[in-house]
Amino acid sequence: MLRTALGKALKGAQLSPKHARVMSQQPKKPEQIEVFIDDIPVKVDPGTTVLQAAAMVGVEIPRFCYHERLAVAGNCRMCLVEVEKSPKPVAACAMPVMKGWRVKTDSEMTKKAREGIMEFLLINHPLDCPICDQGGECDLQDQSMAFGSDKSRFTDIEHSGKRAVEDKDIGPLIKTIMTRCIHCTRCIRFASEVAGVDDLGTTGRGNDMQVGTYVEKMFLSEMSGNIIDLCPVGALTSKPYSFTARPWEIRKIDSIDVLDAVGSNIVVSSRTGEVMRIMPRVNEEINEEWIADKSRFSYDGLKRQRLVTPMLRDNTGELRPVDWEAALLTVAKQIKNAGANVGAIAGGLADAEVLVAVKDLLNRLGSEALCTEHTFPMDGSGTDLRSSYLLNNGIAHAEEADFVLLVGTNPRFEAPLLNSRLRKGYVHNELEVALIGPKVDLRYQYKHLGDGTDVLQQLIGGGHEVSKKLKSAKKPLIIVGSEVLERPDGAAILAVIQKLSASTKAQEGWKVLNVLHKVASQVAALDIGYNPGVDKIRENNPKVLLLLGADEGAIEKADLCDNTFVVYLGHHGDHGATIADAILPGAAYTEKQATYVNTEGRAQQTLVAVTPPGRAREDWKVIRALSEIVGAKLPYDNLNEIRDRLDEVAPHLTKYGEAENANFFKQAQDLAKNVKTQLDCTPLDVKLKDLSDYFMTDSISRASPTMAKCVQAVLKQKQSKF
Amino acid sequence: MAQQTVRQTIKQVKPILSLDKEEARKRVVSLYKAWFRQLPYIVKQYDMPKSVEQLRDRLREEFNKHQDIKDVRIVDMLVIKGQMELMETVNMWKQKGHMMAYFKDTWEPKPKDFLSKFLSGKD
Amino acid sequence: MASILRQITKTLRTSSNRNVVACNFARFQSTETSSAQAPVETRPTVRKSDPMQRTQLKDFGKYVADCLPKFIQKVQLTAGNELELLIAPEGVLPVLQFLKDHHNCQFENLADIAGMDVPSRPNRFEVIYNILSLRFNSRIRVKTYTDELTPIESCNNIYKAANWYEREIWDMYGVFFANHPDLRRILTDYGFEGHPFRKDFPLSGYVEVRYDDEKKRVVVEPLELAQEFRKFELAAPWEQFPKFRPALASVEEVKTDKKE
Repeated sequence: MLRTALGKALKGAQLSPKHARVMSQQPKKPEQIEVFIDDIPVKVDPGTTVLQAAAMVGVEIPRFCYHERLAVAGNCRMCLVEVEKSPKPVAACAMPVMKGWRVKTDSEMTKKAREGIMEFLLINHPLDCPICDQGGECDLQDQSMAFGSDKSRFTDIEHSGKRAVEDKDIGPLIKTIMTRCIHCTRCIRFASEVAGVDDLGTTGRGNDMQVGTYVEKMFLSEMSGNIIDLCPVGALTSKPYSFTARPWEIRKIDSIDVLDAVGSNIVVSSRTGEVMRIMPRVNEEINEEWIADKSRFSYDGLKRQRLVTPMLRDNTGELRPVDWEAALLTVAKQIKNAGANVGAIAGGLADAEVLVAVKDLLNRLGSEALCTEHTFPMDGSGTDLRSSYLLNNGIAHAEEADFVLLVGTNPRFEAPLLNSRLRKGYVHNELEVALIGPKVDLRYQYKHLGDGTDVLQQLIGGGHEVSKKLKSAKKPLIIVGSEVLERPDGAAILAVIQKLSASTKAQEGWKVLNVLHKVASQVAALDIGYNPGVDKIRENNPKVLLLLGADEGAIEKADLCDNTFVVYLGHHGDHGATIADAILPGAAYTEKQATYVNTEGRAQQTLVAVTPPGRAREDWKVIRALSEIVGAKLPYDNLNEIRDRLDEVAPHLTKYGEAENANFFKQAQDLAKNVKTQLDCTPLDVKLKDLSDYFMTDSISRASPTMAKCVQAVLKQKQSKF
Repeated sequence: MAQQTVRQTIKQVKPILSLDKEEARKRVVSLYKAWFRQLPYIVKQYDMPKSVEQLRDRLREEFNKHQDIKDVRIVDMLVIKGQMELMETVNMWKQKGHMMAYFKDTWEPKPKDFLSKFLSGKD
Repeated sequence: MASILRQITKTLRTSSNRNVVACNFARFQSTETSSAQAPVETRPTVRKSDPMQRTQLKDFGKYVADCLPKFIQKVQLTAGNELELLIAPEGVLPVLQFLKDHHNCQFENLADIAGMDVPSRPNRFEVIYNILSLRFNSRIRVKTYTDELTPIESCNNIYKAANWYEREIWDMYGVFFANHPDLRRILTDYGFEGHPFRKDFPLSGYVEVRYDDEKKRVVVEPLELAQEFRKFELAAPWEQFPKFRPALASVEEVKTDKKE
């Protein structure tokens, strides 16, 4: 908490976009005013609050209700500070500084005010820290240690006792112990401002005030887990994590989420070789400080349905556990027999290291049949030009847009954090959104243009009511879901959209065309040179087919010859494993140091939080070992060497944290003229329409009991009359 | 000039036992001799399944391990530790296991190449 | 031995003209005036300091520093009322002899000798002598330093109790004590390699020992326990607002009027 706040102070307190917009409209910057925080002079912009000004000089004022990314509420009063010549202490979070103010953050009056506030808060707060999941990372605990009185005057235990509030049932993810609530209203503000679900609110006043959902109702949002982090006390805690670990006994490893293509930054907490929980890590470029529920709660899927030992299918058709030596020898024998007739399909969770290792191995064997599970149109520029398959404008800039056209995508479930950016723009920046595709609930208003491809034609022609807006917008965005590009007429759709984006008058440096992918591996696979789609496999009918965690059922046993030997390299016993003749257990994203490239082309790496279970090994090492037995030894033995190879293939893959963008729209458009496919008249569709579709989309979340409970809860809520 | 300063710095450090290289060498040689003479008794007393020659080889190996050490003080320190070991051995404070530990006969070699590391699961 | 005593008498003679030695340790004149104004500690959980005791300790520290200016580098009070003398390694014998035999000291008991390893320092080891004066009901701590190769004089001739303590430090840290009558290992197994209290010695050690049924003896084998990399988060969760909790200085230097 302190670290993030300090970081902000260094950058200068960043105001919400609302403020930013007000300032950008004024031609010259207003004069800065000087204030004194504990006699340290600091120059700030007018409108800066006392708390922000104090943060600039490194003085952290205690607070409960104030949060940088939410509206100011000013109701906890913990941030009271003394201002010279003011008779009363002022709430630092809500009070803008005036010229020449002398703020005393450590005076007697300030200390007394804090002590008093803390005493009031603790009157109605239970003393159940020993059984509270927040214990050890609780703001109330920490601040009462730092600022509270050293003794209690509370003696009313026999008479009326402490306030007690009934717990609410708001779903399978969030556990509520409402007696602990201190009414900071952060959860309410998050729900209405960021998540766009106005379910939470307060009832009653004074001592009878309660935070709740008014009627018995689930808090159904794809971002609901964030209110656990926001809650400064133990009123909202994680249900799956409850009573499992204490914050001082867990190991925290910074990592990357791979369950969608956004690549949210996460912290994986582990203890005794198990992932205990996943929490967000601040990255202003990607996920701010939120993560989606699937990223946060599906970690229990990492313990179930795991492949822990190599397996071979015996004569009776059963998979039998064998040791690594036998498995590798069998697979190598099959590969040797197949010669160059070997193919590979990369699934959605494959990392760049294994992708490049498999490509090197197959190329050494003389095969080029490297495919990804998810298709992308190859006509026109295809995947040669990087700008045709990236979310070129970046996730963070989506909130600055003034007009967004969504084509065949439901960002709320395909990339919840991109959707939260769009919603932020909608709330603070008067962003207008239009959507072509099925009518879905995005938690903000948008103009639905229908789901036919003819709308695209109309937009190009300029005859549509929206085309004028698109053309006049300074910062227009067209976000295309990768799903519609998988259609047979995907190339045509992409060509139309490329033409459409070229016709806009966007300002310099603003990239209109954006492709939103659904899986974490796709961009890296295309960068390395995989062919999108499995058509090549269907045509070639390889003798040995290597599945790299390909679990979406893009290829069935029926698509292949009877004698095709299927090798599955992955971590979960899901669809791919059932059709496999040999299973080589790999590591999940929490168990390996691996590179992933998100949908905006940003390479990031996961780190090892726990060791792979059983005899599972890091994926690229399996391929490296196999290559040696096959007799086409790959020239890398450790992570650094394979990273060097990655660097050779595509230098941006090892520039961690940087988004390598591309700008070849013109060339792509020229090539798009060659596209011969015609637009289909079937309506555009997306798979993830409803919240119940969101929770289980890949092999990890399908194995997760928590995610299954979420689906049940959503279905149950649908039947409820509220 | 440079040599003088070097000599000075050498003079400044406090010696452990020996004042110069020659003295240290003598100590090493006498320690070697003491061990060497003791070896036949060690084989008998500890009932070691090794020949005196094998022990001599091992002794030479142990001394040769440190043959490149030039610092008098480090040599002295090693001599002190060697004398300590010798005393423990002569006085029969040690047991057979302690003596056989010098031969490391149960140590399994570590996997070196990628494939054996992979198969043994040790990276 | 005689030379040490000679040295002490010499230092005493030189210092006596500028410092009038009071005949009793308890009768030192108070030189600290600020102690009267110091706020009285009322917090129940904080140890109360005794200004009288502190003054006596400080004055005694100054007196010893005046007597042995060659060896005593620094005098300090830790934890409020524990006097420490930081001395050069050459001064171990004279200082301890002085503290044991001087009429105003009579620290005749060696409570223990401790070692400490701080690898970042040029002299990585500290050797700490805790000594006790039954005559004056007082304790004092003498600290000196050394590195891996510099021997420290054994104080076995002054305190007989030092014998095993010095063996322990030799065993655990590898600090060599010169002129020790019987310097050999005391805690580790025969044939054990390394010094376990050194900071660079792994927690799990290098070897493990087991009984081999086949060979009918105990065998020593290399141990490989991957020690997890531990990342300590120093910012969270306990001290989020460190500014508001000033750390109390645990070490307080006693100014000695060294003319240098």
